[in-house]
Amino acid sequence: MASRIEIYSPEGLRLDGRRWNEVRHFRCAINTHPISSDGSSIIEQGNTKVICNVIGPAEPTLRSRVLPDRVSISVKLVVAPFSTIERRKRPQSDSRIQEMCSSIQHVFEDAVIAHLFPRSQIDVNLYVVAQDGGVLQACINATTLALIDAGVPMYDYVCACTAGMLDREVLLDLNRIEESAMPFLTMATIGGTRKVALLLLEMKVQFDRLESMMAAAMSGCHHIRDLMDNEVRKHGKSRLERGSL
Amino acid sequence: MPRDLTPSTIENTFVLKALTERIRLDNRSFNQLRDLDISFSSTDYGVVDVKLGRTRVIARISAEITQPYADRPYDGLFIISTEISPMAAPTFEAGRKSEDELVISRIIEKSIRRSGALDTEALCIISGEKCWAVRADVHFLDHDGGLMDAACIAVSAGLLHFRRPDITIVGVGSRREIIVHPITERVPVPLAVLHVPICVTFSFFDVRKASSAIAGLPGKDNTKAEGDDDVEEENDSSTAVLVDATLQEELLRHGYMSVTANTNREICQIQKGGDVAVDVGKLLSCSEAAIMVAEKVTKLINKRLKEDEARRNVGNLLVEARAENDR
Repeated sequence: MASRIEIYSPEGLRLDGRRWNEVRHFRCAINTHPISSDGSSIIEQGNTKVICNVIGPAEPTLRSRVLPDRVSISVKLVVAPFSTIERRKRPQSDSRIQEMCSSIQHVFEDAVIAHLFPRSQIDVNLYVVAQDGGVLQACINATTLALIDAGVPMYDYVCACTAGMLDREVLLDLNRIEESAMPFLTMATIGGTRKVALLLLEMKVQFDRLESMMAAAMSGCHHIRDLMDNEVRKHGKSRLERGSL
Repeated sequence: MPRDLTPSTIENTFVLKALTERIRLDNRSFNQLRDLDISFSSTDYGVVDVKLGRTRVIARISAEITQPYADRPYDGLFIISTEISPMAAPTFEAGRKSEDELVISRIIEKSIRRSGALDTEALCIISGEKCWAVRADVHFLDHDGGLMDAACIAVSAGLLHFRRPDITIVGVGSRREIIVHPITERVPVPLAVLHVPICVTFSFFDVRKASSAIAGLPGKDNTKAEGDDDVEEENDSSTAVLVDATLQEELLRHGYMSVTANTNREICQIQKGGDVAVDVGKLLSCSEAAIMVAEKVTKLINKRLKEDEARRNVGNLLVEARAENDR
């Protein structure tokens, strides 16, 4: 099958017509669930759609999770059975889902100004409604926006992007077909800096190619940061104009 | 009831203060691995005992014939089981997966299974009907940090050491039979190992966080941090990087990255969890350091394999008895 699908044409066009360094169509909305949660967001990166609800900081539900000097973050990820082409129910105990939850939790434990809310808990609920590659990156971006909407103080945006390497070509922001055809990494940076909060590589890659993949992913993260920042500012302005806060 | 392994505050401040002065408690340099000892069982093939400092892990490789999965008729099965019992440390519960256990098992899966260290197509006997199922059981005997690294070395070495029984297929069509030859009859066959993945864990310490933890202690100026000259990068001295942390260093670290590399200069997997954010240049140099560690460790594994071979193969009889020889 892979030989019939041209992942990267000789003219430099990918399956959806993008160039190597273009991210997918990025749409985000903040404060989408104002009643049911303190902060919420919906992110669409290409065809991948993720909804995030944040509740907190609040009284912790489990005494065992209470940390005396900082806030504890608990992440729950639900992948809808209709999110992929094949309808498949994924149990909560699926190790991939648990691993993603744990990664997201650790990323935000450092990104949130945690010492301001000791003995409190922030609940992050993520719903993956449609999957087309880049699920972890969409989840991280959605969580960032939802936390901002909830008013949780953070040091900076946490932005994530994927980058893959097809032979010698670096491709940015992969969709599902591209992800299964080449080694790729997911990177999350702190805002527009060079600091990396998360780096995940799951397929073999030659070491010499790693640097260009990381550089591409980093520039993708910075670009997404700007896109998210625009949306946050637009949202903030509209709230000020409406007079409600 | 799992017991928490949190060290006391006074231990914390001591270790962190030593790190700001570039001293590790066991007097290693920041890039130095602990003493690694790999020994193979003299009776069974595929049983490896790995000692990384005081961390001790045993891996056992076994194989049996079974039916392949319906959607993969040409592939054999390869299962890695990494259940940690309270024998390793009181913080692990038998039967329940703590977060650490999940991380370890996922990283071993990615390093060895997903990277294709074992050629599963070579395990096929009769496509769609019979194949070899290779099973790697890792037993964690002692936890002093670096469980992932030790387990990865153990499984990789075990796969290289293991010999499965030789088989012959007789008959044709549906009347085919597989004859499994015991070791006494025919020399057992090694597995098709395509590459040897070695996992290296780097622990990050945010010097500013460490300094604030020890600020206020009497003595010389604690908040000054020296430059990081072991790992080459551009002027970023705010994060100290330790290779192969002991349990105490693991409990105190602010972040970690585990890189699996092999001697073909390939990186099989990288997992940098959240916690402290690190400059990207530093991550790249860690990956390069991982390749050098992988080369060193692979050399040691091959050396031990040769010694084991010499011990078993007294008088070179194995070479004469090999099934591939002309009759």
